[in-house]
Amino acid sequence: MATGIGDPQCFKGKAGASKFKEGDRVRVKDLPDIFYTRTMTYTRGAVGTVTKLVYESPAAEDEAWDNTDNPEWFYSVVFKQKELWPEYPDLYANDTVETEFPERYLESA
Amino acid sequence: MSDHDHKPAPMVDEVSDFEILEMAVRELAIEKGLFSAEDHRVWTEYVHTLGPLPAARMVAKAWLDPEYKKLCDTDGVEASKAVGVNWVTSPPTQFGTPSDYCNLRVLVDTPTVKHVVVCTLCSCYPRPILGQSPEWYRTPNYRRRLVRWPRQVLAEFGLQLPSDVEIRVGDSNQKTRYFVMPVRPEGTEGWNEDQLTEIVTRDCLIGVAVPKPGVTSNAKRPVIKAIHPVHHGH
Repeated sequence: MATGIGDPQCFKGKAGASKFKEGDRVRVKDLPDIFYTRTMTYTRGAVGTVTKLVYESPAAEDEAWDNTDNPEWFYSVVFKQKELWPEYPDLYANDTVETEFPERYLESA
Repeated sequence: MSDHDHKPAPMVDEVSDFEILEMAVRELAIEKGLFSAEDHRVWTEYVHTLGPLPAARMVAKAWLDPEYKKLCDTDGVEASKAVGVNWVTSPPTQFGTPSDYCNLRVLVDTPTVKHVVVCTLCSCYPRPILGQSPEWYRTPNYRRRLVRWPRQVLAEFGLQLPSDVEIRVGDSNQKTRYFVMPVRPEGTEGWNEDQLTEIVTRDCLIGVAVPKPGVTSNAKRPVIKAIHPVHHGH
């Protein structure tokens, strides 16, 4: 329990080098998930831009099973709405969604 | 022949499956000694003392102090301390509850970017600084639709924005909790921190409304009747 430290602060410095940096274009991998995931279906396969390296933490997919052995970097990624929903109106082409992913779900795009 | 179609109103509200699940897990946790019934009572009462006022004050402070605004933008957890909220050691458990996680990010609006927050996964919400989420925030209706049709959902809340304003939906489904810092509205020139705090309502902090001089409470949430309602036979 992260008493007096906080979670995710308690995993700071434990993920090693980050694979991506701010501004990188990334694609969300459609990994199989066993019973639990926080990587939303609507983002899978979509390409977005890293806005921020947010913290280090075990992925929810591991943490759900009390496995905290492999903290990794988490990234905030912004997507054009149009990339997520092809029917999104062109008039609002600037609209975006921003959300976070553990590193394992991202690949260079 | 009696009218069998007419059912008397139930004496108590129906208890949902989730409430039963919560009670079962809670009773099991008490039985196994994870926490005591007294711990649970203290914690529940504490949680119900929380509300959106500290976040509203953060916004007001940031409107008045550009340095503080910068801090809010870069380190929400640190900036929260100025309004008496410590995400890491908030009582009574001292490990960051009543938030599940301790990572606050303030989404700072600009004249061309309007943020709005949702948790498509379930109901993640920055509780230490906003209190309990409104019921509508947790509905599948809001969660499903906001990420996909944000302009339509915002319009239902009475917020219509021009096409040159980018709407950025923040989906808080990992360990960051968000609130929105709206742009300071016109007509508030010369106002002090207390005056500014009053117009930053909970809905402004979620992003479904923008602050307006004279408006100090949340608008009534519109209820739109289903076109094809489901009929339950009780």
